[in-house]
Amino acid sequence: MYIAGIDVGGTNTDAALIKDNEVVATGKVPTDHVNLVESTAAALETILGSYRGTEPLELHLSTTLSTNSIVEGRGDPALVLAVPGPGMRIEDLRLGFAVHQLSGSVDHRGREVAPIDREEVKAAMNAAREAGMEVLAVVGKFSHRNPSQELTIEALAREGDYRFRHITLGHRLSGRPNFPRRLATSYLNASVAGQQARFVEMVRRLMLEGRNIGKVYLLKADGGTMTLEDSLVRPVETILSGPAASLMGARALSNHQEGNAIIVDIGGTTTDMAVQAAGEPVFQPQGAEIAGHRTLVPALFVRSIGLGGDSEIRVLCRRENGQTSRQLVIGPKRAGIPAALGGSRPTPTDAAVVLGMTSVGDVHRARKAVAELAGALGIGVEETARKIIDGFVRQLVEAVEDIYQYLESRPVYTVSELLAPRDIRPRVLIGLGGPAQVFIPLAARAMGIDWEVLPYHEEANAIGAAASRPTAAVTYHADTALGVAAVPEMDYTGEIQKAMLFDIRKAREEARRWAIEKGKELGVLDPDDIAIVEEESFNVVRGFYTIGRIFTIRAQVRPQVRRIVPGAERGEPNAVQQS
Amino acid sequence: MQSSSRNKVGLVFFPAFDWCITPDHPEREERLLYTRDQIVEEGLLDVPGIEEFRPRVAEDVEISRAHVCVPSVGSVITQSHRIAAGGTMVAADLVLTGRVSRSFALLRPPGHHANRIVHGSRGFCTINNEAIMVEHVRRTYGSHLRIAIVDTDAHHADGTQDIFYNDPGILHISLHQDGRTLYPGTGFIHERGGPAAYGQTVNVPLPPGTGDEGVLYVIENLVLPILADFEPDLVINAAGQDNHYTDPLTNMQVTAQGYARLTELLSPDIVVLEGGYSIEGALPYVNAGLLLALAGLDYSAVREPDWSEEKVKQPPHISETIEKTVAQLWQMWRTRKDVDLERIFGHGPFFTRQRRIYYDTDNITEEQVEKIRLCPACSGWRVIQSGAARGWGVPLGRVTVIAAVLIPWHACEDCRREADEEFDRLQKSGRFRYVYLQDVERDIYKRV
Repeated sequence: MYIAGIDVGGTNTDAALIKDNEVVATGKVPTDHVNLVESTAAALETILGSYRGTEPLELHLSTTLSTNSIVEGRGDPALVLAVPGPGMRIEDLRLGFAVHQLSGSVDHRGREVAPIDREEVKAAMNAAREAGMEVLAVVGKFSHRNPSQELTIEALAREGDYRFRHITLGHRLSGRPNFPRRLATSYLNASVAGQQARFVEMVRRLMLEGRNIGKVYLLKADGGTMTLEDSLVRPVETILSGPAASLMGARALSNHQEGNAIIVDIGGTTTDMAVQAAGEPVFQPQGAEIAGHRTLVPALFVRSIGLGGDSEIRVLCRRENGQTSRQLVIGPKRAGIPAALGGSRPTPTDAAVVLGMTSVGDVHRARKAVAELAGALGIGVEETARKIIDGFVRQLVEAVEDIYQYLESRPVYTVSELLAPRDIRPRVLIGLGGPAQVFIPLAARAMGIDWEVLPYHEEANAIGAAASRPTAAVTYHADTALGVAAVPEMDYTGEIQKAMLFDIRKAREEARRWAIEKGKELGVLDPDDIAIVEEESFNVVRGFYTIGRIFTIRAQVRPQVRRIVPGAERGEPNAVQQS
Repeated sequence: MQSSSRNKVGLVFFPAFDWCITPDHPEREERLLYTRDQIVEEGLLDVPGIEEFRPRVAEDVEISRAHVCVPSVGSVITQSHRIAAGGTMVAADLVLTGRVSRSFALLRPPGHHANRIVHGSRGFCTINNEAIMVEHVRRTYGSHLRIAIVDTDAHHADGTQDIFYNDPGILHISLHQDGRTLYPGTGFIHERGGPAAYGQTVNVPLPPGTGDEGVLYVIENLVLPILADFEPDLVINAAGQDNHYTDPLTNMQVTAQGYARLTELLSPDIVVLEGGYSIEGALPYVNAGLLLALAGLDYSAVREPDWSEEKVKQPPHISETIEKTVAQLWQMWRTRKDVDLERIFGHGPFFTRQRRIYYDTDNITEEQVEKIRLCPACSGWRVIQSGAARGWGVPLGRVTVIAAVLIPWHACEDCRREADEEFDRLQKSGRFRYVYLQDVERDIYKRV
């Protein structure tokens, strides 16, 4: 079976073709932002020569379309209707977009406290249509517990002659709490929906142009895929899929898909780091952040630092007790291309060239550049080069340690989790990127763990896109004291029958059932691919009697990635070392 | 993008979702569930300037600085108590190291009914989170720090009062529903502290039915002036939330707005949650308001779903009672140094007090005799003899009799010597199951 992965980046569009579990071709074309479909088609052409199948080709696309439109503020103006109820003033949220506040309110258990004013809703929609707004986002506080007020507003929008081209309801995007994030997520979703619709049209045209393309999936910020149809409903989930694609590429190519690992992608200017725990990627605690908007969009946890092969190297003088010590600081700025390759200033790559650790460019030019620093330090060229390498490794290891300290200091709310924290510490350092072969083994040794350097770098994003699998999660909330249950992502609310008999096992079953249903929509048919990832259960006691239970269970299609091996096309296996 | 808070606030939130006293007890897993739901849904943890921190586990020695636990620390508490105490200390460290300007230990179980001697649990409390924090602060950041504790729980903070009642470094003010109408039945205005700290225990009993108006009147006209006078280095608010009009265990009328305004007026350095058992109708809104007020943000839109003006209106006769109490207490504060202490505590060499303490949560009765050395040079060493047994009044089981010798901060040489001699004498007497020594300055805690 063939899958093509295409990552439309800001500069280049990369493509990779995988057959079963092997990379059979990779290609690259410059991205044409005016005719995106042209350059996407061109990237596809670079790999189609290696396609020998008869069955339709599955296409996985990662695009910067939504990301760019949000970062550049080019989204469509959206009418955002909010039902905030009491609490923090919406004006104080400084959301960065206009919000029209409505009366009405729902409490923390999803009980309606104050009703919607229909006339108020209609007036707001009339005014917005007159002002030329064509898309609508509706968000209520606690709408993940009870979406009825959002649904009422949606019905009013469809009944009247408003003809909104797109309507986003907050509860459909996420079953997680956080009203300001739900507002931001819904606003962004509505504002990029029009553009996404045009993009989907283009992709469908591309498919029709005589190419044998079957299913098309889009990459999401969590490193999973979604269907083209689903992307019309929730386009915001395609943000930040570029970095996710590279990291998924690393996971796909690694021999260490199980267990704990740290993935380090060393580029010229920056190094991106992501964490794998018990074989699954670690996600952002609440959701992605983009252009100052905090969202509920599930996203891989990625940290970037200004450290790379082309980093600037400075000599820092420190005076302590009359003694002057000189220390090398690498990054966070970029110096330019390495001196060995024609640049003018020394870089970490030059240090590696001087020491014979890599053989790029002209060693004499590298020596000359490093010699300038050696002069400032008053030591030899080789020693300076070693100090640069050591400094790079030290900064990298410190950054990794910072990540783990951050993740390990995240709040927990139970005694058992506080006393027995989950072990997420890495057993292996997975590296990719040009300078990885130099720095990864050294950093792994400093950390006392194994390492692995992957043979692909620039193509990892496209390989990651091809290797990615569907992801989705549902939040099942049941309140047996009120006799109600909800799965906001599936737009379900219903009554619980025989509430007194409804226990945690029943709740788990229900959560799994909804997740399996969601999985089916995505083509995930194996129930073993469904996992319960979060679970809460509380007795509701009033007076001296237990009158019910509250369950919140999150079930997901497990975030998986196809195992990919480098093809004959590349020829090199992964470099590995058990330390 | 969200509004930045004016004050950098550290939140140590620990709802202990897997711990309860018993499954249907007010102090159960569910208590902070709706508070968590409200805080997270409001997005308060995303507000720049509000940062969440993990609690830590308090060690035996940290608990022994404030308590004498019988027979031992480990035998009377659970891990969850250690985390609540540890989290409270984290909240203090955040402020005292300058990492944040204010902190809020929003955690359970509470502690303000726990006395210095601990035979078990009373008023849902086993160890006193504020007291453990205060001793941690004095040990870590300076024993001369002057610390004020303002307890705004609806129940009298009898445990905190007990621990610091003879401590000249501490000002303890407790606002509570009148002890004649509510547990623990103490906290009257004549309870003013021991010989070395007379007047520094201030009790403000409030009539049932007191609302925002009354509580804020006390803060503005009594608490703030006393604080201005005492000039503390640190103000701690033991913030019980059971003055709320929906609380099932009390009879007060305070609203979320009232609590937020109280917090704004008091501007405490550290807030520690105490009681509050209207877990749905009050806590989510009180805590949201409190956090906003602490951060210096607008809390005016925080409102309980069932709020109405009539429901929370304070009757005029209550206002009059409160005004009288405040006037009397202010007069007492101003003249506290003119009081003839010999008339109250005698000529010495010891002042003796005798008490019976009931542990409602664990059904234990304790009889205590406490002797305080009336020392002109320091606050004086103390010895407490305590016998406790299961049952109310009539012992149902074996009576455990212990003695504890307490050496305060900045004890004079004579007091140290006498205390050491007393410890030896008590040991040899053979009358006690255990004899304890608590020497905070040397950080020595013994049990023989």
